[in-house]
Amino acid sequence: MTSFTFATAQYESGDWDSAPLVPPNIIDTIARYTEIQVTPAGVIVSLASPDLLRYPLVYLTGHLPVRFTEAERKQLREFLERGGMLFVDDHNHDVDGVFHKTATEEITRTIGEPKLLPNTHPLYSAFFKFADGPPTTSHELNGWGDNLVHKNLFAVMREGRIAVLYSSKDYSSEWGYHPEDKRFQSVDNTRFAVNIVVYALTA
Amino acid sequence: MIVRSAAPRDRAEVHERTDSRALETALTAWTLAPEPTSVHVTAAFAPAAREREWLRALACAGVRVSWSGDSIPATAIEVAARTDPAGGVRAYVAAPEGSNATLSDAVGLLDTVESTQGATALSLPVTAGALDLLVRGQHARAAAPDSILPRRVVVLGRAGWEGKFVMAALEERGWKVSSRLRVGPNVFVTQGTPLALDTARTGAVIALDSSAASHAGAIAAFERSGGGLVLAGDAPLAASLRALAPGRAGPRIAAASLSFASAAPRRALGFFPIVALASDAVPLESRDGRVIAAARRAGAGRVVQLGYDETWRWRLAGVGDAPAAHRAYWSAVVSAAAYRAATPIEPGRASDAAPLASLYADLGAPSVASAAPLQTGAGLRWWMFALLALLLLAEWTSRRLRGAR
Repeated sequence: MTSFTFATAQYESGDWDSAPLVPPNIIDTIARYTEIQVTPAGVIVSLASPDLLRYPLVYLTGHLPVRFTEAERKQLREFLERGGMLFVDDHNHDVDGVFHKTATEEITRTIGEPKLLPNTHPLYSAFFKFADGPPTTSHELNGWGDNLVHKNLFAVMREGRIAVLYSSKDYSSEWGYHPEDKRFQSVDNTRFAVNIVVYALTA
Repeated sequence: MIVRSAAPRDRAEVHERTDSRALETALTAWTLAPEPTSVHVTAAFAPAAREREWLRALACAGVRVSWSGDSIPATAIEVAARTDPAGGVRAYVAAPEGSNATLSDAVGLLDTVESTQGATALSLPVTAGALDLLVRGQHARAAAPDSILPRRVVVLGRAGWEGKFVMAALEERGWKVSSRLRVGPNVFVTQGTPLALDTARTGAVIALDSSAASHAGAIAAFERSGGGLVLAGDAPLAASLRALAPGRAGPRIAAASLSFASAAPRRALGFFPIVALASDAVPLESRDGRVIAAARRAGAGRVVQLGYDETWRWRLAGVGDAPAAHRAYWSAVVSAAAYRAATPIEPGRASDAAPLASLYADLGAPSVASAAPLQTGAGLRWWMFALLALLLLAEWTSRRLRGAR
């Protein structure tokens, strides 16, 4: 049986590698809570590469403007149309920021406009229960970025399934720490990552 | 009847002959005119069902009927509804090896195939009316059955890409899917009501891996009652599922190629070869001498064993319209196993599925001339006359002998 491999998207513009601690932290969380066979180390995959089609769930983040090349756009479109899922997180936590504006433009151009995802969506009960929708991040509560607590995530749907999950909540900062530091938290704040992975694997 | 049997015929014996083309006209003439003593049909084609029945009626009326025809192509056609949400039928065509078989329906030509040894199977998504098979001038005809509304498919296994994309493929194809995918100890992601396994609601169960063994009892009972089962990947390694499988799952073999070629895309997939096939198992797919897919009956149901465990790679990375090919492949696998309710053909629909076989059944084996007569009234009359004469002789002898004492 294929192991789950956490893949981070590499793209030519911007700073795709701005959250290097997120992959090992999520891998640790998956191994900690589930029986899903997970590859111990994540991989980095270029959006323009055919290798993108080997990893059906891909994580994309950054602070800087995102402009896909034509090759990246073409490959990403094929990936999504064939059933892949892209999780995009705005590392700026700022709806007026350059990442949000450019990334949503590029997603819209590639596959369609992200629409508000209801907080009753199965994503929020795929493993842990999040009755109020996406969990709040400390960066939202601290008033950084756009100084907003985003009540919803956004998504582009295909065949009834999430093809692109878009977050303005800055999980990239929230989950960007060494896995061993989870022991200092009263409630593990990476639990929502389990829902994203389980949803991708089962829906 | 005895008197009539003994009575001399009031006319000379008449022996008629005809061929396939003039048969219908001849039948009318033989029926209207004073009946002939015998008729012989030299057939280039098997007579149509109506003509065969007419000949049988003549035989029952006392006419000796015989036929000959060495060149009649043995043809047969069987049509069954596909257990597929897309509908359509599957036609099985039998014809002499190497001959061209043309299949058409009420609208027109559907397909032409060169017949191979045994039956040739064709999947036809849309048909109109009965299917007509033409082989070297010989027609065979079969009525299409009503379509089947497939029951849902239940997917059992661990959470993973294979389960996700198998479910996606089936749902996109129109199947209703319930699932129970294991995520953690006693933690499952469930869709629908997957554990209500009965043929009233469920057509087939797909066991993606050996974790489905925890439901082996329910699966076996479902199978015995006519349900379909697909054992994929390492599922047959579970002892409780092994008894149902067409064979054992051998050690996994890595993909023969790393790239998906359009001609043979599944060569880029690893698989568990099926070894030690059961005596009643039928291999369905093989590569380099190793069986990858096989099927067998188990109870009233059917089991398909599929060695692949990563077909999702084909859907994602295959060339061309790989998602459509992946959908069609999985739908065909499920369709091969799934429970199918009987689909009676509406009475009154014309059908002549195997004309030559029917000719043998109706008129017996062929003969060079009007040799072996069928059971006729004329034959019966002569036997009755002989019996009567024998009885009279016995009576006369008895009287004579009594007088002698």
